[in-house]
Amino acid sequence: MIKRLCRQNVPLGCGADHSDMRIKKILFAVGSAVLFVIVFVIDAILKNIEGGLDGILFVRLLLVAVAFVFLYFYVDSKIKESERSQVQRLGASSVWAGILIGAYIVVSILPLNWFESRDLQLYPRDYLTILFSTLLSVISGLAAIVTVRHVKDMLFYKRTRGTKRNFVLLLVVMFGAAAATYNLRPLETSLAKTILFTLAILFIIINSFRLSWIAYLSRREKIYAMVYALLAFFGFMAINIILSEMSSLTKALLYFNYPLYIFVQLSALFGSVYFGMAFISTLFHLPTAAAFDRKQNEVSSLHNLSRLITQVFDFNDLAKTVTKMTLEVCEASSAWLEVLPADGKQYDHKLDGIISQHNIEPENVEQILFGGEHTVRSLVLSSKKILLVDNVKNDRRTSYISNIKDVGTLLVVPLISHDELIGILYATKEIDHGFEEDDVNIVSGFADHVTIAIENAKLFKKSLEKERLQRELLIAQEMQKRLIPQTLPLFKSVDMKAVSAPALEVGGDYYDIVMFDDYRVGIVIGDVSGKGVGAAFYMAEVKGIFQSLSKIYSSPKQFLVKANEALISSIDKRSFISLIYAILDTRTGELILSRAGHCPMLYISSDKKEYVKPTGMGLGLRAGKLFEETIEEHNIRMKKGDVCVFYTDGVTESRSSDGEEFGYERLLELVSRHRSRTSDEIKEEIIQGVWNYTDEHGYDDDLTVFVLKWQGD
Amino acid sequence: MSDFKVSFRENSPQGVSNKVHIMDLKGYLDAHTTPHLEEAFEKLIAEKKYNILVNCRDLSYISSAGLGVFMAFIEEVRMNKGDIKLSNMSPKVFNIFDLLGFPMLYEIFKDEGEAIKKFEAKT
Repeated sequence: MIKRLCRQNVPLGCGADHSDMRIKKILFAVGSAVLFVIVFVIDAILKNIEGGLDGILFVRLLLVAVAFVFLYFYVDSKIKESERSQVQRLGASSVWAGILIGAYIVVSILPLNWFESRDLQLYPRDYLTILFSTLLSVISGLAAIVTVRHVKDMLFYKRTRGTKRNFVLLLVVMFGAAAATYNLRPLETSLAKTILFTLAILFIIINSFRLSWIAYLSRREKIYAMVYALLAFFGFMAINIILSEMSSLTKALLYFNYPLYIFVQLSALFGSVYFGMAFISTLFHLPTAAAFDRKQNEVSSLHNLSRLITQVFDFNDLAKTVTKMTLEVCEASSAWLEVLPADGKQYDHKLDGIISQHNIEPENVEQILFGGEHTVRSLVLSSKKILLVDNVKNDRRTSYISNIKDVGTLLVVPLISHDELIGILYATKEIDHGFEEDDVNIVSGFADHVTIAIENAKLFKKSLEKERLQRELLIAQEMQKRLIPQTLPLFKSVDMKAVSAPALEVGGDYYDIVMFDDYRVGIVIGDVSGKGVGAAFYMAEVKGIFQSLSKIYSSPKQFLVKANEALISSIDKRSFISLIYAILDTRTGELILSRAGHCPMLYISSDKKEYVKPTGMGLGLRAGKLFEETIEEHNIRMKKGDVCVFYTDGVTESRSSDGEEFGYERLLELVSRHRSRTSDEIKEEIIQGVWNYTDEHGYDDDLTVFVLKWQGD
Repeated sequence: MSDFKVSFRENSPQGVSNKVHIMDLKGYLDAHTTPHLEEAFEKLIAEKKYNILVNCRDLSYISSAGLGVFMAFIEEVRMNKGDIKLSNMSPKVFNIFDLLGFPMLYEIFKDEGEAIKKFEAKT
């Protein structure tokens, strides 16, 4: 696993492995070199000894084999190190063919004495022949290994299931053919060798049809590939010819190692056939190379776009990229993007939807889109189908824009998401008939991606917006909490406790107190119709009105009349506010109460359990006298142990899971059961009672409870 | 639970040109369902039908938002010499109207027939 990562050029964390590999590489190179030297020494010694040394020859064969295995590992690690393109692999192969031919030429012009052949055996005439035979063989073997290794990489490009099998079979047959000669004398041949050799040629041809990499080259690369393939083809062809003659060069290889000779010969054959095929194939691919380049371009544009979808959330950035890519994808001369407003709304200006344009004047865009009664835009709006005008100058549909100079062809593509038209993409070309069928296809495919990208950007914007609103609401919640009293004043004679909980983040419930002097305290409970932010605004307004007016008007009725006057001008006609206002004298226990549409006060004393409900209309429903006439004042003289409960309809209208309301009866019964307890305990009992009753559905309305208990005489 | 329905009827006593348009409310009228009631009022008013009787026989609950709807249309209806009258409320629903002082703003009848008579008396 780590090795694989290193091969993919992962820079970090593979240091140890890298140096490991380098040491291995050096060991392989040195190892094979040492083995070749040993073989040379053996050969030099054997030169002076006549026959009958089968044991030593077998050891020599093994040494040669191991040396080449080492050499293979060296080459393999070297090739794996460098990521090469197919063209570079071709180049490297042709270079090695050149090196080999160069070596052959150099060796053949050297004044060497070469071999004496006797009894199908070769006998070197001097040590120099042995040296050069060894060198030549090593270079030939190396070139063969490098070539086969490179061709393998090319074969395996976009491989199918059969690719590896065919290649392995080829190698098996090649090694088989080579191995079949291990005990032959250099000038001897055998039936097995001939059969395997022929079979190897067959597999070479089969493998040589694997040329899929050519299709993916750009036009430029194809030209290079052709040149390299031709050079390599001629190079390996020449090697083939040299090795098929019984020349001194052939004899040098045969003398060194017969199997090596066969392997080199087959490799050269493989090289020439494969590169020959590659040359011809590239030649045939050349005419379509430009088209392929374009397709490649389209694919990479689409790829970039789909990446953009996940990355660009800024609408304008996205639009810019989209129009630019439209130009690239179909080689248009101008392009622009129109985003239609959601939910059938209208833009303030008709060009507001054009969020990006390239290479075209806004006046021209305006004329094309809105210049006539039936524009291409209106056609697409109603048909929701792609519209292609091949000849703008002479088409009836575009007669209204025939005076625009640079527009010969016009393509209009609707962007449709969930059956809804969310935008339109336009592209033009200067010449007529500028867009082919596959341009239209690619743009329509492209349009689908654009649609997703736009939807994505919209969603992202929406969720940002939502998050912002959520934050604002939390701030509003904090602020609203500060609008109700943080603490209630303490009196010897009266014990007061209150709680308020909105159903949503903010709500329309309100309670407050005001001190007139050291003894008299005003208590107000209110409920704004509706819930949420709208209610919260009115609640804040009520707070302002209460704090200012309660100081001026010391009778509850007067206060309510004035508060109604203040509210009625600012309140929406379908909203209203219910209030209950009580002024308590903490010395005497006298409570004066007025009600404006609010839930009646619950009064529990030793001899009475009742709802106190003076008449009174809600605030904001009627102005002036009409309102004033409805308001009554009610007086109570509190006695020791009396309990008053103010509340909002969140208490009485809370519902159980089967839909029944908590109701007045239940509240009355609950409070009278607990009347001997403290205000705080009574308040908690009410909240708990409602909570249990609603069966943990939670409150679905704002809920406020204010409990007042007289402790004086 | 929050099911709410409005259905329309017409009452046209013989010889009386001024028809009474009756809305039957059914179910639970709260912030979620008020738009239905608003639509119903808007529909009648758009058709210039200003004599509106709201029968609350099957109305099981009305919230403050529901009450607001009546306030939203009463002005326009009365300006056109019509009225919104209510009838057949259950005690529970009447209590909600009553708490807020609606009986001082609207005529509320025990029975639909009385309300229709009142409309006829006017014309």
